[in-house]
Amino acid sequence: MPHSDRKINQLKLTNEDTLGPYYPISLCDNDNMNMIKIHSGIVHKATGEKIIIKGCIKDKNGSLAHGCLLEFWQANEHGIYRSPDEENNDKIDPWFTGYARHRTMDGNFKLTTIKPGVNNDLDMPRAPNITLTIFSDGIMRLVTQLFFDGEESNETDPLLLSIPKEMRKRLLLKAMTRADDGTTIYNIEINMSGENETPFFDDLLS
Amino acid sequence: MTKYGRTLQIGPTDLTSEKRTPRHPLHLIPEAARASFVPYAPYDFSVLGSEADMTRLTPGRPQADGDYIKITGKITDQYGRPIKNSMIEVWNANKYGRYTHIEDFSGLQLDPNFLGTGRMISDDDGNYEFWTVRPGQYLALPDISRWRPKHIHFSIRGGSSRLITQMYFKNDPHNDRDPMRILMGDNFEQNIGKQYDIEGDEFDCGYKFDIVIGGRNPTFFENDLT
Ligand SMILES: [Fe+3]
Repeated sequence: MPHSDRKINQLKLTNEDTLGPYYPISLCDNDNMNMIKIHSGIVHKATGEKIIIKGCIKDKNGSLAHGCLLEFWQANEHGIYRSPDEENNDKIDPWFTGYARHRTMDGNFKLTTIKPGVNNDLDMPRAPNITLTIFSDGIMRLVTQLFFDGEESNETDPLLLSIPKEMRKRLLLKAMTRADDGTTIYNIEINMSGENETPFFDDLLS
Repeated sequence: MTKYGRTLQIGPTDLTSEKRTPRHPLHLIPEAARASFVPYAPYDFSVLGSEADMTRLTPGRPQADGDYIKITGKITDQYGRPIKNSMIEVWNANKYGRYTHIEDFSGLQLDPNFLGTGRMISDDDGNYEFWTVRPGQYLALPDISRWRPKHIHFSIRGGSSRLITQMYFKNDPHNDRDPMRILMGDNFEQNIGKQYDIEGDEFDCGYKFDIVIGGRNPTFFENDLT
């Protein structure tokens, strides 16, 4: 069937819309910004290097963007995503989903997770990265990916290479400090608009 | 080497949109990175049946003020295949246009019998149903007297499906000035609940709101599932 015919037979999509300012906070009560522990009070946890990411979302004026719903998605320590295609992969970590979400009241967030690995079985291996989705009032969904500063694989990552060089640093998580237990704490500032605007990606046309 | 996609539009008269919309064109995602942009939410949802009844706080409690309406619909991908077992979260203002949200500073009347949020899971055919009160309109920007039309917020999540949207009501006088509705253009029709009659006096009426998720809100992992 020609492509154009197929299109005609498709149903019209429901429009996405803005989140608005009043996404119910209680709906996030059971969500978890600690990807290492998917259940509380259980011995099992994700394997890999524990890291903490502290970040903030800012608007065009440099003010914190309050009331955003943030969603995170990443591969495990072997660079494998927990998608149905991979359920039989023996490198799947049963105690790691790679998915977290959070409604930030003031625009700041803190994610505890493991550092994603590199899947060298791929033709074009990806540098370790974390996908960030932002929903908020006034916008439709925004998506980007965050990378780790200084990582050798950044030099060959197909996504980083696809954007202008001067913009790449805006996607880099920077190791700033260590927690008491030695965990590396990374920092990132996301600018939705304005100077140093974070590069966002078009997942509609891509 | 750099390829650009859409430049996002700012919702007219929407100050938050003006502050939060990126100005730079979006970057196209190279094929090798495409799949990594699709989060797969684990299906570990559980809800109580009573969470679909937003007309009262809990079973047996008195009902909230306002007209009771039933919203029903089917969630599919663009080929009409049902999206099952997805988590549907809904929230709306009370009869007086007030949200129970702690950050709603409008001062409009609260209703002690209205929680304002509900949840349900789509069934094997993608169907969902919930009951709520017809929301009031509210003044979003008093200084330019811009009202938000009556609407119900939806969030749908499960597997690789993801959509945040709103259902609107036909002939609401504030529809035409709504910033996000203006951005939808002619396709706004898809976001209007289709009114239908319900026998008896339990409900004022019903609205059918079928939801089609596709395009950038992909469901492609599920395409292989039966
Ligand atoms: Fe609203």
